[in-house]
Amino acid sequence: MMPAMAKLQFCVLFLVYVASQCGGANVDVVSSAITVKNVDRTIDISSQLVKINSKITFENTGKSPVKSFLLAVESSSKSKLAFIGGKDSNNKDLRLVETTVKGYDNAKFWRVDLKESINAGSTASAVVETVYSKALQPYPTAITQQEEQLVKYIGNLYFYSPYPVTSQKTNVILNTKTVENFTKVKPFSQLDGTIAYGPYTNTAAFTEKELLVHYKNNSPFLTVTRLERLIEVSHWGNIAVEETIEIEHTGAKLKGPFSRYDYQQDHHSGPASVRSYKTLLPASASDVYYRDTNGNISTSNMKVKKDSVELDLRPRYPLFGGWRSHYTLGYNVPSYEYLYYSGNEYLLKMRAVDHVFDDMQIDELVTKVILPEGTTNIKVNFPFSVTKLPDSLHYTYLDTKGRPVITFSKNNIVENHIQDFQLRYTFPRILMLQEPLLVVGFLFALFLCVIIYMRLDFSIHKSEHPHKD
Amino acid sequence: MTTLAEPNLGNGRNKGLFNNMTGFSTLITVTVLLLAWLAGFASRLFAVIRFESIIHEFDPWFNYRSTAYMVQHGFYNFLNWFDERAWYPLGRIVGGTVYPGLMITSGSIHWLLHALNIPIHIRDICVFLAPVFSGLTAIATYLLTAELWSRGAGLFAACFIAIVPGYSSRSVAGSYDNEGIAIFALQFTYFLWLKSLKTGSVFWSICTALSYFYMVSAWGGYVFIINLIPLHVFALLIMGRFSQRLFVSYSVFYIVGLLLSMQIPFVGFQPIRTSEHMAASGVFALLMAVGALKYLHSLNPKGQWKQLLIVGGLVSAALVFLMVVFLTYMGVIAPWSGRFYSLWDTAYAKIHIPIIASVSEHQPTTWSSFFFDLHVLVCTFPVGLWYCVKNINDERVFVTLYALSAVYFAGVMVRLMLTLTPVVCVLSGIAFSILLDLLLREDELPAAPVEPNDKNLYDKAGKVKKRAPEPTTQADFGLGTNVRSGVLIAFMILLMLFSVHCTWATSNAYSSPSIVLASYGNDGSRKILDDFREAYGWLSQNTADDARIMSWWDYGYQIAGMGNRTTLVDNNTWNNSHIALVGKAMASNETAAYDIMTMLDVDYVLVIFGGAIGYSGDDINKFIWMVRIAEGEHPKDIHEADYFTEKGEYRVDSEASKTMLNCLMYKLSYYRYDSGGSPPGYDRTRGALPGNRGFKLTFLEEAYTTEHWLVRIYRVKKPYEFNRPRLPLAKRTIQTSLTMSKKTSKRRKGVLKNKPTLVKGKKLSKL
Repeated sequence: MMPAMAKLQFCVLFLVYVASQCGGANVDVVSSAITVKNVDRTIDISSQLVKINSKITFENTGKSPVKSFLLAVESSSKSKLAFIGGKDSNNKDLRLVETTVKGYDNAKFWRVDLKESINAGSTASAVVETVYSKALQPYPTAITQQEEQLVKYIGNLYFYSPYPVTSQKTNVILNTKTVENFTKVKPFSQLDGTIAYGPYTNTAAFTEKELLVHYKNNSPFLTVTRLERLIEVSHWGNIAVEETIEIEHTGAKLKGPFSRYDYQQDHHSGPASVRSYKTLLPASASDVYYRDTNGNISTSNMKVKKDSVELDLRPRYPLFGGWRSHYTLGYNVPSYEYLYYSGNEYLLKMRAVDHVFDDMQIDELVTKVILPEGTTNIKVNFPFSVTKLPDSLHYTYLDTKGRPVITFSKNNIVENHIQDFQLRYTFPRILMLQEPLLVVGFLFALFLCVIIYMRLDFSIHKSEHPHKD
Repeated sequence: MTTLAEPNLGNGRNKGLFNNMTGFSTLITVTVLLLAWLAGFASRLFAVIRFESIIHEFDPWFNYRSTAYMVQHGFYNFLNWFDERAWYPLGRIVGGTVYPGLMITSGSIHWLLHALNIPIHIRDICVFLAPVFSGLTAIATYLLTAELWSRGAGLFAACFIAIVPGYSSRSVAGSYDNEGIAIFALQFTYFLWLKSLKTGSVFWSICTALSYFYMVSAWGGYVFIINLIPLHVFALLIMGRFSQRLFVSYSVFYIVGLLLSMQIPFVGFQPIRTSEHMAASGVFALLMAVGALKYLHSLNPKGQWKQLLIVGGLVSAALVFLMVVFLTYMGVIAPWSGRFYSLWDTAYAKIHIPIIASVSEHQPTTWSSFFFDLHVLVCTFPVGLWYCVKNINDERVFVTLYALSAVYFAGVMVRLMLTLTPVVCVLSGIAFSILLDLLLREDELPAAPVEPNDKNLYDKAGKVKKRAPEPTTQADFGLGTNVRSGVLIAFMILLMLFSVHCTWATSNAYSSPSIVLASYGNDGSRKILDDFREAYGWLSQNTADDARIMSWWDYGYQIAGMGNRTTLVDNNTWNNSHIALVGKAMASNETAAYDIMTMLDVDYVLVIFGGAIGYSGDDINKFIWMVRIAEGEHPKDIHEADYFTEKGEYRVDSEASKTMLNCLMYKLSYYRYDSGGSPPGYDRTRGALPGNRGFKLTFLEEAYTTEHWLVRIYRVKKPYEFNRPRLPLAKRTIQTSLTMSKKTSKRRKGVLKNKPTLVKGKKLSKL
């Protein structure tokens, strides 16, 4: 037996240890053994998102093999970062762990653990993809109906790296020739909607230099401000999905009047407005509905394709800058495509978020999974870090004790987040009989009551004339 | 209904075949009523199938909105609800100005279903409430007719009312209005009244009062009950049909009903303070007097009491009448309201209350609409009435009065067709029942005893076919086989035509949600024009939450219900002068209208313009009513004649009057309207090219126009926004010092309060 004091001390120590493990993030140091030999960067700003694809070649200039390297994102844009992911030279996903580096508190770091370490003197390459949302500012911030939308992109001319970079090139894809202004640091060239910078040689670690491009961008600037995705699993062979979507045009705001005449006469009127967009649903989706609080939105088309169901959604009104809309989209999918079981153990594999439109950006996602009544041992695996919200109960037809609801949320979602989550649970199959039996039992009791009632006589005295027909 | 082919009705005669006749005829009754319910429910679903589960038209949107509010906030909060989104800046006390029966009904259904874990949205309950209640109405009608005549006639009546267009016009799915449940309450109250009159039991009288209470809570038409039942009592008294049963049932019903009806906040003290309700009190007093005299008479049943009875009755009647007149004169009792006067004098509303006259359903009924709404029943119901008068008893006096008064009211106002329909169904049911009774009597076995009281012989005509070919042994007994079968077939065909007509009328005339329009292309393809919801959706999403929308009152409820924005006037037309102000703004030129709009804090103006698609119910066509209503309140500023051409024509083209071409409504409708027919800017509704085109708006700007130009929304510019005259730089003077007050000299322009003093080289601690 430990003395009480020592026991307490031990507990405290243990707690401190646990706390430090949990609270304090990993701390790494920038290895001086690595240099970046070459970076080939593509900055795609033709849509509302900023998609940066960097092909990085590392070189181990040290003595010992290197097992991991660091990725960094500058402080100015780290709040806009929606997604970061890496692939190695074999096109396999790399595992990224968030970390910090002492002395660089403002920047954000990820440690990438390599499967095969880089030996001294040899090189390895990786492709890193980062997606930033809301990094393009409409400028001017308000335009009239006829005007084109101009946006400003402010980024880093150089690849932001904790290691010195020997050579780097950057391609900025605009998909337009209308460029008002852009940073001119030689060597550069402008060609058919692309601006190429570089090659720049020997940039030091953590170099930042402003890259500004002010250009025309009429692609839809739509932000889903909130998406609530409800997945209702039924063991009778159906999974119902319902998405409640609030959407806003976050491009340059509409200034002055909206003229239907201009909008109708001239097809190029309102170039920055969004008339419709396409949503892709799973190929097996059926019973699709598209409505809002006032009822069906009757302006939409559905095309069933081989690998998906394509919905051409038209909001009730065209969306101009600053205009909002909201709707509910729902459909059913057969459960055999997403629900696997062995005995009483079930595994649900579904997308945590699904496609809303190309190059979408979602501010807030809340996903709710309603499991059948009587489900226990629920375990969830998420493909990305989420905020788990408290579980709740949902009551619907013929429920007695309620269905468990798993809820999680995440902010700042882009298309790269369309990934499956896995949910394991135990469900005794005998419980499938509960609901039919409930109905049978109720009807039985009802008829029994009627039978008994018909045979009872509550009258105080016999009526004089028997009940006449 | 003609398709319900029961194999054999038995008619209570074939006792050898069916030992338990009660059970068998109950089975048939229940089956027929269930099928009537089903058919009535199904025939009201056209709108849901063609469009969607949606609330229709105008008033239902308010009912739906308040039901949703009640479900969300609870009943007591609903009663105390002050709706600041209506009648800006006055607001509306909803709880006190609404008949809450409808909301309570659907609210309790919602509550019950949710208690059973059935998650049905309140909108679906509201949409399907009226069709469900049509089945209950059918049952209530069956009960009423069975009380009056026979169960067979009851089944006929139930089947008629289930599908008759006159009733389904107000109770299709989505038409979530008071009438939908009120007709059930009306029929049920009448049934209970007859029941209580027949039995003289306090129990049934209390039930009548409770049902009456439900009716009061549901519809303003309860006044019809509280006048018809006293009228019935009065008629019975005059006919010398006073009985203890009548005395008990009426006095109990009146007292309990009066107390209960006063519990509804909207009704309040009206039952004892207004002329509309005085007939009931007067008859009550009279009944008491007659009862007392009868009692005295019963003490000494000698001859001379008879004169006393008559004289006493007359004197007390005169006394009661004079009392009411005196109280009205004194102001204790409010005189008849204008809406009531318009029932007696059809021209009254046109002269004094244009706002009532402007509603299409308040127009006098045309003959064709009688036939359209009732079809063959309009011809057969006098037969039933005649039989009722011929075989008169206490109850049939009632139905006679009911029929006569309802026919009158239906003739005065299209809308009151609704109160006529149930009694027409009842009487036609009786007529058809008598007819079949007559035609099928000889089919009975000669040995079967004919019971004179047994009236429930027939439920339906279906079985007749089978029997008609049977050779009749007593061909000389009245009608021959051929005549009978011929007549039967003729009536079968009539009934079939009736049901076809009912389905057709319900489907084509009454099943349009009117907020979603459908147009059909040449190839039969359907195109949905969803402009109303487009506009309301735009309003709800893209305007400030407290934005105030000015529109004509027709669209007030829809803007509040679908757009969730503040309106100035709405379909609860309680404040005529406020409506007139909006009408004046619409009828004035832009400058004058701007003054009114700033006075009323208007942010947006919404107009309906049908010129692009040829929609006739738009604001320009309603405009003359706006002018009339505005003129009623502002005769100095608005003159109806100014809006007509010199020939007295109402037109919008270049020959239109100048006032017309420059009023706000005209400008808002035609602003930048250049699409449409073959000459650009052609107005397809009026069939004319607008006379004033290419103008500019100074004080408003187009905020949104829907895809088919049906709804146009304009934003009212703030005073600093519109085109001020440009001053040359030299002439601009900025006055600063003159307007400064001495007292506030510290708060001069450009001076920060508590300005921090900056010392070079020192960090600023706090700003």
